[in-house]
Order: sequence, then C-alpha cells, then structure tokens
Amino acid sequence: MATNRRSGRASKRTASAKPVNAADAREDAVESERPSAPAAPPVPRRNAAFPLGVDYYPIDAEISSWDDWYARDPEPDFAVFAAARMSLVRVFISWKYLEQQVGQYDEEALQRFERVVAAARDHGLQLIVTFFADDRFSELNDVPWGKRRDPRNDSYLIQREVSLVQRIVNRYRAETAVFAWEAGNEAFLSGFTSGRELEEWAATMREAIREVDPDRPVLVGCDPETLFRASGVDARGAIDESELAVSHVTAPYQAYMAEGPVVSGPATYLDSFLLRSARRDLPVIVDGAGVTSLDYSPAQEAAYIRTVLYSAIMNRGGGALLRRFRDMDTERREPYFRDPYETLVGVADIDGVPKPSLAEVGRFARVAARLDMRRYTLAPERTGVLIPAERYDPPPSMAGLFDPRATLQAYISAKEAHLPVEVLREGDELGEMSVLVVPSAARLLPGTWRELTAFVQGGGSLVVSYGGGDADPTVRELFGIEFLGDYGRRRELTCRVAQPDALGRLEPFGCILDIPHFALLGGGGATVVATDAKGSPLVTLNSFGTGRAVFLAAPIERALAQGDAWAAPPAVRAMLRTIYGALASAAGAALPLACDSPQVEIALFSGEDDDILLLLNHAPEKLTAQLVAERSVATVADVRGGAAATVDGTAFGVPLAPNGAAALRIRWS
Amino acid sequence: MSADRSQQVALAEGLARQEQVGPAVEACYAALRLDASQPHAHALLAELMLAGDFYDEAIAAATRAIELDPDCAPAYLALGLAYDRRGGMWDQSILVWHELAEVVPDLVTAHVQLGEAFSLAAFDEEAIESWRRALELDPAEARAMYNLAVAALKREGVPTALPGFRKAGELDPSQDELFFDLADIGPLPRKLPDPAKVADDRDSRLHAAGVLARAEDYFGAAELVRAQLDASPDDADALALSAYMYLKQEAGNEAMACAVRAVMVDRTSVTGMYALGVAYAKRPGLNRHAARVFSALAAAVPEHPMPHVLLAESMMGLQRYSQAKAAYRHAVELDPACVRARFGLAAVLLTENRHAEAAWEIRRAAYYDTRRQGLFWELYDEYVEGGE
Repeated sequence: MATNRRSGRASKRTASAKPVNAADAREDAVESERPSAPAAPPVPRRNAAFPLGVDYYPIDAEISSWDDWYARDPEPDFAVFAAARMSLVRVFISWKYLEQQVGQYDEEALQRFERVVAAARDHGLQLIVTFFADDRFSELNDVPWGKRRDPRNDSYLIQREVSLVQRIVNRYRAETAVFAWEAGNEAFLSGFTSGRELEEWAATMREAIREVDPDRPVLVGCDPETLFRASGVDARGAIDESELAVSHVTAPYQAYMAEGPVVSGPATYLDSFLLRSARRDLPVIVDGAGVTSLDYSPAQEAAYIRTVLYSAIMNRGGGALLRRFRDMDTERREPYFRDPYETLVGVADIDGVPKPSLAEVGRFARVAARLDMRRYTLAPERTGVLIPAERYDPPPSMAGLFDPRATLQAYISAKEAHLPVEVLREGDELGEMSVLVVPSAARLLPGTWRELTAFVQGGGSLVVSYGGGDADPTVRELFGIEFLGDYGRRRELTCRVAQPDALGRLEPFGCILDIPHFALLGGGGATVVATDAKGSPLVTLNSFGTGRAVFLAAPIERALAQGDAWAAPPAVRAMLRTIYGALASAAGAALPLACDSPQVEIALFSGEDDDILLLLNHAPEKLTAQLVAERSVATVADVRGGAAATVDGTAFGVPLAPNGAAALRIRWS
Repeated sequence: MSADRSQQVALAEGLARQEQVGPAVEACYAALRLDASQPHAHALLAELMLAGDFYDEAIAAATRAIELDPDCAPAYLALGLAYDRRGGMWDQSILVWHELAEVVPDLVTAHVQLGEAFSLAAFDEEAIESWRRALELDPAEARAMYNLAVAALKREGVPTALPGFRKAGELDPSQDELFFDLADIGPLPRKLPDPAKVADDRDSRLHAAGVLARAEDYFGAAELVRAQLDASPDDADALALSAYMYLKQEAGNEAMACAVRAVMVDRTSVTGMYALGVAYAKRPGLNRHAARVFSALAAAVPEHPMPHVLLAESMMGLQRYSQAKAAYRHAVELDPACVRARFGLAAVLLTENRHAEAAWEIRRAAYYDTRRQGLFWELYDEYVEGGE
C-alpha cells in the first residue's frame, strides 16, 4: 500500500507537537486552583494539550453592517471565555474593512483588531487569526476595488492578500496572544474548484506568513472530508503542509451522514469519526463544535456539546473550538434559508447570557484539566476502519456516496465493541494495526489487495464485507472461499450460527434489513461460521499465514447505513460488534476491560501509578455501565476529587446520565 | 408540457423500476451525456438519489429537471421530498409543495407534506389547513389524521388528542393486517370464495370466511362463521372472527361478547386477544383492560410490531408515558417503517417536551409513508403519457 498518510511526515511530527508544547508554557502562566487538601499539588485550570476555544464572529446581528466588524468591546466576552476555562479564540480578519482602498490600511480597523488582541492578552487567551473567511454576513473579503474577481485565483488579488497577511503577521509576530495563523476557513475554501488551485493558494499564503513568522503554526481551516463532499475538492495536499488540522461537521455533511437527532444514534459519533479521518499525522482541532440548527432545546444543545467534547478528547483530539459565542440575532423575516456553514447557534443567547452549553464547557474543562497528557497515554489504536479510494470516484459511481456512510457504521460498531479504533484511507500505512475492517467496498485497488494479503500473512486480522460486483481473485486464496456470484437484493437478513464461539458469541437472528447484494460462496477451505436461512455462508473465517481473514457475504455496514440508522436491527449491530470484538481480543487489540453497554464509549489513559478511564454514554437514556477488568481494581475515584470507592475485584458499575460522561481514576490492586 | 424521452432514458427507467440503482444511475448519466436537456433523465436521477437518501444530489437533479420543464410533476415530488427528508429546508419545501399542489391539485400527499413543512416552519394554522384539505380529498388519509392529532396534542394535551390517534389508527390498514396475519389469512385471491361452494369442514369454512372478511364481504363471511358456530359453538377462532367483523361494523358490545367468549374458550387465541383488546380500547375507561390484553398479545407474538403499538396506545390512555414509549420504541425496532408507532412515539416525546426528537419521528413516518406510496412512478407515468 502506498504511504500517503504518513510518508514524509516524520519530520513534521515534531513540529506538529509545537502548539501543544507552546500551550504547556502558557499553562504555567495561567491561574491555578487548589483543591481543599493542603498537601495536594495545584491543579491547572485548563488542559494544555487540549485547549478549548470559540469562534468569535465579527458581528452578531443580521442587521449589522460590514463596517461593524468587531465594533463591540470584546473585553466582557473574553472575560466570559476565560471564566469558562477556554484558552483559544478564533477571530476573523475583514479584508474589506482593513483595506478599503488599495494599499491603504484603515487605522480604525487596525485599532479595533488591536483591541481584540489586547483583550485576549489581558485574559490569558490566545488567538487563531483567520485571514480569509466567509461568515455569510460581514462581507469579509468583498473589497470594493476587487471588481468581483475571485480572490482565490486572481493573481492581482492574491498579491494584495499576501500584502495584507504580511502586514498583520509582521505587526503581531512577537505577540504572545497569537496562537496560530489560519489562511482561510472552510466556507471560503469551499469556493476553490480544484485541489491543485487550493494547494497553490495555501502554499502562497503559508510562504507569506513564514517569511515574517517562522514559528507559529499555520493551518488551512477545512476538514478534508466535508470539503470534498461539498465541493469535490481534495484538500489533503494543502492540509499536509500545515502544522495543525481541523475537523468540522457541517450542516450538509450531517444531513448526508447522520440526519436525525443529535443526541442519539450515528450523529453522536460523527464528530469523532471526522476527527479520526482528518488526523493525517497532525494534531486535529475539532472545529465548529455545536448544533447547526435552532431546532434543539438548550438541554439538548448542552448534551451535544458534551458528547463532542468528550468524544474529541477520547479520540486524540488536539482541542476544540465551539461554533459560536453569541446566537446570531437574525432578522424577523420569513423565509429563512439555511446556510451550509451554519453559524447561527452559539453558547450564549443574543444578549450574551450563557446557555447551559457554556456551563457544560466549563465542567468539561474542569475534568480535562485533571488529565495530564504527559502522565497518561491513551491506549493505542490497533484496529483500523478503511475508507476505500473509490470514495473519491465521481458519479455515476455510487461508491463515493455509499462508502463514507458504510465506514461510519463500521466505526460505530468498533466503538460499540469498545475498541480503540482509527480511521484509515486506502493508501495509508497500516503501521501498528492488528485488525483491519474494510466495510462494503465495491472495489479496492490491486495494490491494496497485495497489501492486505501481506497484512494477514504477517499475523493481522482482516474483516471484509462484500460490496457487490465481482470479487477480486485474491479473495479465493485470502479468505478460502469460492465466489460464485451475486445473489442480488434481499429484504431480510437471517443468521444461523454454524460454529459457536469461532468468532465470539454470535447469536442467531432473523430481521428485516434491505441487503443490496449477497455473495454466493462455495467452499474453499474457510470455516463457515454462520449461514443464511438457506445454508449459504454468511460469515466465513480463514486462517492465512499467521493471520485470520473474515468474509461477510453481504454489505452489512452499507445496509445499516442505508436503512434506518436510528432503528438498526439490534441483532445485526450485535453481530458486527461481536465479530470485530472477537478478532481484536484475539489479536490483543482490545482494551483490558469489557463493558456490557454497547452505547458507552470507553477510552483508557494509562499512567504509571494509576489509569484514567473516560466513559461517554451515546444514548439519551440513563444507564449503569457494568465494567469487568482483566485484573483486580483496588479503587475507583472521580478524577475531580472526592473519596475513592473500594472495588477489590474486577467488576464495578458506573451510572451514567443521558448523554452523560464520567472520568474515573483507577488504581489497580 | 413534456418532452419525449430517449431510448437511453427508457433504459434507465426500466432499471430504476427494478431498483437496480447503480446501473440505473449509470444509464441516466449516459443519457445526459448524449443530451443534457432531458427532464426525464434528471427527474429519474433525482428519484434514484432520493432512494439512496442522497438528498443534495436529488435536489440538484430535480431542480435541473424543473428548470428544463416547469411542468415536470415527478421532479417537484422528488424535490419536495428531498427537502423534507434532508431537514432544515422547510421554507424551500413549502414553495415546492405549493407548486406541486397547483400542478397536480388532487395529489393528497402534496397537501400532507405541505402541512408538515408548515408545521416545522412554525406555521401551525396553515399546517392544520393543509391536513384538513388532504382529508377532504381523501378521508382515509391516515397521516393527515395523525398530524392533526399531534397538533391537538400540542395545543390541548393527550386526552384531547387520543381520539384522533385512535381514528387515525383505524384509517391505517396495518391494524387489520395484524388480525389477518394472526388468523393466517394471506393476500386476497383473484377470485373470492363463494360461500355456497365452500367445503363442509372447519378449516375450509374459517379460511373462506377470513378471506371474505378481508374483502369486506361481511355477509358472506358471517354466513360461514355462523355455520361453523352452529357445528361447534366453542370454536375460539370462529368467535374471534365474528368479533372482528362486529368491530368493523362498530358493534362494540357484540364484539366484546364474542371476543371474551373466544378467550375464555382458548386463552392462547391470539385473534381472540386482538379482538378483545380492540373492543376494550374502543370503550372509554377500559384502557387498563386493553393494556392487559395487548400485553398478553405482545408476549404471544413478540416479533410483530402492531401489538406493541396497540399496547403503547393503551398505555397512553392510562397516561403511563414511559411504558408507552418503551412499547413504541420496541415496535419501531421491529419495523422502522411502522408509521403508527412513529407518530405515537412522537406524541410521547411531546409529552416530555422533546420537540426536536418528536419532529424527527414525524419526519421518519413521512419518509416511510412516502416511500411505500411509490408516487413518483405514478406521476412519472402520467408525465410520460402527457408528452407522447
């Protein structure tokens, strides 16, 4: 397999850690709180490795004009951010306001920006300065002298952009209140028509910044997956040159992947899925955390924010930026047409009164502050879910539409099996992976089949589900099966277990599920673990080399995605997580503790003397997660303090509120 | 206006009708490469994308079809459904359903969808007006009735809304389907049995009576049931069938008497339980009895969603909302396309002030109901005929 994901990035890995290290230094400066016990060490107010922040938009009312850019005194708002234990604020430059006449920078505009920087400095906050953004309200880039030329590809305008960027960067290159420079936000970047054009523009901006400021991180503020979905532009090349990446659930992407309630089902996994798929060896900041519509109650908004924040820290996020501070004060008119980069809903109402979401941020920050990433290490991900390269095929290929959804379902199943799981793209290095899931792909690249064969030969465990069409010839040898053809569509899925305990405790079932394809399989040496109602193999297991290869005869992940993902047949979900979990356990890729609640996500941070366990309930119902560890647990305590509960055994229960989370310090016997 | 369609479009159309989504999409693209101005191909593509829940693609294709031919009714349908299913585009949706209601004035679904879009955009009065208009066009339109019941619930609470839910349930054919499933009566044959020619044995009589009852020939069915009860007065299945027919004729007391007798004779008679539960549910104040009977029925046929729905409705009547929610959720797990369970669940969620989730359940109900209707092909065929 090619090595796009990690090739040439080794040197960057050190560089990419810089923001985090820089944040460490910042941490020393921030105010500390001391717990009541006099001997206890001071507890930081924030987690330096997981900064929290908010997008601070220049105007908060639709009736405002472009020249109201940051006209409001930012000081009170920044005081609220600091009180909520945030450390980052993303601000947006208005080219139109700054350069109203060519080459002449407006002094009033510079003063306003200075006021923003000063407010950040005064409150111990740091800024991510976004140069070219589109917030759909402030006309940030509509320079009157631009004559409607496209600022993304017009050479003269790009020259002027470089000038602007260098002027700002030069002015603030020694400013400690600036954390990073961002070339553009996703709404602006979605206007590019090709990956090459975007890459060239980003490189120009990056060089312009680097000429003046060689140290601070520079980023391209788009999520490669959502941008590709929105515009067909592959931004990975541009992002690879950055020091930070962002993941970003947009309203249309949510409608495509997980349209439905945000506090249950696949929507609660979407942020971490995108975070994982955006990592590409860079620290990823979860951008735009928050709901995208006004449909939800304040309590649901808070529950969603909680889910996003915990998901982020449990999945190696490098921080999180909330979607907006204040709700946008929209005009009282109908109809209101929703914007693709919806930024209406904030964590405070239009008067700046905090909503429950902001309190949730503070609570999370208090927990995150106790998680010292230098002392605790997240359990390594040795299970990977692969997004096939066909995902980038344009129509009429349907793979580009089906594959992301199928991959999300596989990711959710792995999470339900409580596995530390990574999202890979075809072509990425397999690295330390022990288990690989290839969900419902219609076609893989020939080189990939060779890599998969070598992976299994070398001891890896592989799960491939049939995605329709002809099977690759490799299937015969690797999976020990004879592909006899596609039986076609089925309205029901039946599972009869032929080999109990061969792949965990599979249960027989029959249910309504629209299965688009079903591979008819003949014998070829594999063990038939389960069959359909007519005895045709449904799940096979083959030992190949020193590894194991499992073949599912139907695109089950795709069927779950294309069916009702909020009412997926529980038995089918159970089958997938049992298979994934059994392979991971056998390969040593599972966590050293089991949980009886599939809807509870678990992350284990291992330390020297103790471990920290984070649990997140993805269901909107309260439950008690029963955990069973591989070794005896002495005590369990809330990381925020309080008395430790004695366990002296391997099993204990953790009550979780609806969409609730828990952070526990575990001491082993 | 409708343009003639090319052979490539006809090929795509054939594949789409066979639900061969991939090949049909390829055929549409092939047709559009030859001639990008064919509204048929764009409309088909919109329908195919809608079938795969790819709403943005469906919106783009349907919009293009309408640009090419503003009278392309199937494209309006696909566009409106795509807006509704995608969510958050109620304003655009209202405009489209208005247009479609003008292009095809007697299309009941357009009015139902228009009402739902109005409701989600917080125009409650206009929504109610649209659902009433739908019921004027088709008094048996269950979804319009469910929506009116939900609107009543929002305004006046559960007790006022419950009769509306019951009435909608009666309009919904799935409840009768449950009885005939339990009685093992399959789909209607082409030729109905002649009561005079039915073989003189129990099974033949009861089966023929069941078929006639399903065809709503209650006189013929009653004749056969009577003959069976004359031969064997304690035949639980015959008693249950007669209870069902009494229920269909609004004779509640007689239905209850027959059903009680059926269950007394055979405590495992699922058809008897069904009839007894429904008879109790129809009478004010007997929800507790109904709940017990439906609970037993749900335990006897746990894989069927409808007993769980009926149980949930009884629980709603008893104001035991958490139990009702659990039963509705179970029904939805068994059959995500169960419109009645979705609306019921929405009602429970509204009692908990979980408006966003309630709206989602109503949208899913609409999703499955409109998929089941297959309206696109009706409109498409009319559109094709109009141009040739």
